[in-house]
Amino acid sequence: MKKFLIVLPVFLLSLVLFAQVNQKPAANPKLKVYYFHLTNRCPTCIKIEATTKKVLEENFKAQLDNGTIVFQSFNVDVPANKAICEKYQAYGATLALTYNKDNKEKIEDLTNFAFAKIHTEAAFVNELKIKINSLIK
Amino acid sequence: MKSFKYILIFPVLFIAIFFLASCNTKEPSKNTEVENNIAISSDKPVVLIYYFHLTNRCPSCIAIEKATLKTINTYFAEEQKQGRIRFQALNDDDTANNEITTKYQAAGSALFVTQLFKGKENTSDLTGDGFKYARNKEDKFIEILKNQITKYLNF
Repeated sequence: MKKFLIVLPVFLLSLVLFAQVNQKPAANPKLKVYYFHLTNRCPTCIKIEATTKKVLEENFKAQLDNGTIVFQSFNVDVPANKAICEKYQAYGATLALTYNKDNKEKIEDLTNFAFAKIHTEAAFVNELKIKINSLIK
Repeated sequence: MKSFKYILIFPVLFIAIFFLASCNTKEPSKNTEVENNIAISSDKPVVLIYYFHLTNRCPSCIAIEKATLKTINTYFAEEQKQGRIRFQALNDDDTANNEITTKYQAAGSALFVTQLFKGKENTSDLTGDGFKYARNKEDKFIEILKNQITKYLNF
């Protein structure tokens, strides 16, 4: 019984770590919407992620389902995400769009836009929709 | 004689009402006063740095304020002494800050750098850079903020 009490938390912890390690970036979609965050998050950071997901699910459901657009969020504090955080220069809350132009990968950082507009949700939703539409044409 | 009394009373009443009205006039907020004085008295650009936060603060929010103060103290101590740079941390939850919070539309943590020059205001919102870099890549955030302040001071 004692052994079981020790083994169970270790097993659960390894499951959590395994899930985090497996937060790998998506293969090759037309548009990648990545959100990076720290472990300790403020309401604004949480709202940016939730509203971005809402924009995608309500307006780009078909593209999400067929893989044209992918959304992923990464915890900056998880060591397994170090390489992708370095690539995106994401050391804290960061919203980035990745797409291809002239066969080159381009990254557009929307962090300043997100923090500036999130409190007027309609403006955030509208501008993000326009931006995404322009990139998946 | 009665009409003479009225002639005396009316001016006295008028002066009293005028005096009371001027006493009740709402004074301009402290911040507006500060901004206006700077704008009028200075022939060089003045930079105002406002950091807004809620009462309950996350680590990133605290890191942004800390790195902002570090930037000012390290690179702009002289300008701060001269009054060409002013920093204020403002709690959004404090009703005394309503006017300035509304002006900047600051609903949570936010960092604004405002240039006052020749009666005009230019503002840069560095909130996103703050949340992105201040906690884990402080040097990068300091560089961004320093460049923005330098640009505004020398424009």
